[in-house]
Amino acid sequence: MPNEIKTKDDSPVVKERKTDEAVEAGLARLTPERIKNTINQVLQKETGPRFKAYVETCMHCGLCAEACLYFLSNDRDPAFSPAGKVKQTIWEMLEKKGEVSIDFLRRAVHIAQTQCNVCKRCSMYCPFGIDIAYLMLLVRRICHKLEITPLYIQDTVNSHSATMNQMWVKEDEWIDTLQWQEEDAREEFENLRIPLDKEGADVMYSVIAPEPKFQAGLLYQAATIMHAAGINWTMPSSPGWDNSNMAMFTGDNEISGRIARTFYETAARLKVKRIVMGECGHAFRSTYDVGNRWIGWAMPPFEVVHALEFYHELLTSGRIKIAQKFKKTVTLHDPCNVSRGRGLHDMAREVTNMLCESFIEMTPNREHNFCCGAGGGVINCGPPYKGERMVNNRVKAEQLKATGAEVLIAPCHNCHSGLEDIVHHYDLNMEVKFLGDIIYETMEKKIYKPGE
Amino acid sequence: MKPWKRKSINRESKMKQKVIFMGFILFIFTAVYAFSNTELERLDNSVFEKPQRPSAVFEHDDHNEMAEIDDCAVCHHVYEGKELVEDESSEDSLCSDCHSLKPDQENSISLSVAYHKQCRDCHFEENKGPVLCGECHIKE
Amino acid sequence: MNAFIDFIMGPMVWIAFLIFILGLILKIVLIIKDVNARESYIYSYMTLKHSLRSIFAWLIPFFPQSTRQSPVFYSISYIFHLLLFIVPIFLTSHIVLVNEAFQVSWIALDDGLADILTVMVVLALVFFTIRRVMVPEVKYLTSTKDYILILIVALPFITGFLAYHQFFLYRPMVIAHVISGEIMLILIPFSRFSHMIVAPLTRAYMGSEFGNVRHAKDW
Repeated sequence: MPNEIKTKDDSPVVKERKTDEAVEAGLARLTPERIKNTINQVLQKETGPRFKAYVETCMHCGLCAEACLYFLSNDRDPAFSPAGKVKQTIWEMLEKKGEVSIDFLRRAVHIAQTQCNVCKRCSMYCPFGIDIAYLMLLVRRICHKLEITPLYIQDTVNSHSATMNQMWVKEDEWIDTLQWQEEDAREEFENLRIPLDKEGADVMYSVIAPEPKFQAGLLYQAATIMHAAGINWTMPSSPGWDNSNMAMFTGDNEISGRIARTFYETAARLKVKRIVMGECGHAFRSTYDVGNRWIGWAMPPFEVVHALEFYHELLTSGRIKIAQKFKKTVTLHDPCNVSRGRGLHDMAREVTNMLCESFIEMTPNREHNFCCGAGGGVINCGPPYKGERMVNNRVKAEQLKATGAEVLIAPCHNCHSGLEDIVHHYDLNMEVKFLGDIIYETMEKKIYKPGE
Repeated sequence: MKPWKRKSINRESKMKQKVIFMGFILFIFTAVYAFSNTELERLDNSVFEKPQRPSAVFEHDDHNEMAEIDDCAVCHHVYEGKELVEDESSEDSLCSDCHSLKPDQENSISLSVAYHKQCRDCHFEENKGPVLCGECHIKE
Repeated sequence: MNAFIDFIMGPMVWIAFLIFILGLILKIVLIIKDVNARESYIYSYMTLKHSLRSIFAWLIPFFPQSTRQSPVFYSISYIFHLLLFIVPIFLTSHIVLVNEAFQVSWIALDDGLADILTVMVVLALVFFTIRRVMVPEVKYLTSTKDYILILIVALPFITGFLAYHQFFLYRPMVIAHVISGEIMLILIPFSRFSHMIVAPLTRAYMGSEFGNVRHAKDW
């Protein structure tokens, strides 16, 4: 556990260090012409009136600062305010017409990739509703085109590109993992199956690659829940099973689009009625709002249901019954992509209350939640940035601590991992759980039959 | 002959100072007198219910002398309907006899607009005289 | 001199208002044309309902969370923006001029009240200036241009106030008042003052993205 960076003075953002080898290698390849051409190409050809309106409308009032967990966690350092980050990146690119230095770009990529979760909280605090997350994603797009994206997240994009999943999971490994989980689960539920490539199933269940890679237990849990609820479901055996999309967070829109296309084509090939996805936020964003648009669908071509919504459905329809409610005190983290990003926050509370005896709200919550600090690809930039990620989300730790809850529910993979780091780093003595964990723990382990 | 002028001939240098000093005092007195004691000649605005500005300063005779206006009808006009009646003037009646506070069917030009246009249009045409609000509505 | 005054209070007012209004209309038209040409995907987010919902939510004082978190700033800002329109539109002297030119008039503020409101506008601008100097996150974003914008708004009000009271240099003061007001009007379409018409658009977009796609509030 790298605990070396705890105080603000140690914060690597004060002096721009050479943190990332891929960024450094990329910067070393750059020429002033390439920098200038790339920036101007993106700003002139890939943006339009929306970007122009944002730049020409911002009155520099600084009200967005209050929204940002980075600003609040870093003792209100203006360099961490949303507009402050825009000033240090895209304003200057625009003002200098793309003639920016290597040092500037090192700073810019650091800010855009690791000091903003593109959580859009600031857009709710800007009186004009300026989409600062969009501006940060533009910076990432420029950095992508300059090939200075941080190493770890670029690796996941490379993996997407080569394997259509985020973690270099080979096709046989994927199938093997599912069969292994199926086998284990059959000890609990006789005849349980994880049906692969079942054409015409009601539900295609889709997960992110870290699940088969190192959280196979989640597949096990999902399979038991599906089985117990009597759902006619399937999982694809071929690429397209991974709904995650890291390319969306590096500005590699082309690969991002390929991922979304493969995903939907897989669902189309299986002729499923709808897609249910695991507890992941960014994957939901990709399939519900971003990837679909890149391939020409304003709304997803399939009904895409987040786990949270699906659990709600299972619990309210009686397909899953709770044997005994969860005893420990719980608090709920609202993942940006499903609360502010999909309005599922009230449903999340209903599910939590159906599962748990004592639920304590953290504040602020719902649309106004603080991000976990890991989302938007930040945690995926990997170990070089972990220390500062902990410093940068002190407010979350304070917010969690104030609840005094024993268990923290985070219905999102990124949030889950990020909050686990926060909990350890700040010694919060909380257990971080998915809703699926709690459902699995509390549900009646019997198969649903209609009319019962 | 002013007495101090005579003395100044006798004792030049000392007297010079005294003269300047006295002149200064006189200037102050004149100035104070001019600004405090002289009532500026203002138009009668008693017909207005709640005037927002001090009544306009207008020194009738000085104005006409300076502007070389002999014909009363230049300002004190008479209209029959929309036609200006030549060779007739209205200096015996009040402006407010014809122009009411708000424009009505008989006369579409309200009293204040009549005043403003009467003075200012001419001042613009002649390119002299006050044209800005506070140049007539001088603070009391 | 009267000929010059006649110009700045006559044709120049026309020019200023035409540039102001046509400039803003042109700006909107260009934005819409540009959106159609290059970013028509924006319409896949937009709905009228959610656009208006967001705009109205943000017009209600102390309804959005942000406004409750910074009550002093927003209070002053609300009042400032209201007075920015109310004072010049309902000022007796302005109405008198319009009435003489177009035979239309409307209810006017009492001059004494208008005087106080003018001082309030200037004080609000002083507050904005102090905030730019004192509050770190605002200072960080502030450049000379931001102070120039404040000055451009302040000048018509300050000169108007001084002229009304006839403290000194009456004629130059009125001339400065008229010209600075015209400069402000002319600059609106070409500066960040255009937020008066662009901000509702950006708000509408964000309100739509939140309301229509994200099924969430954006206030």
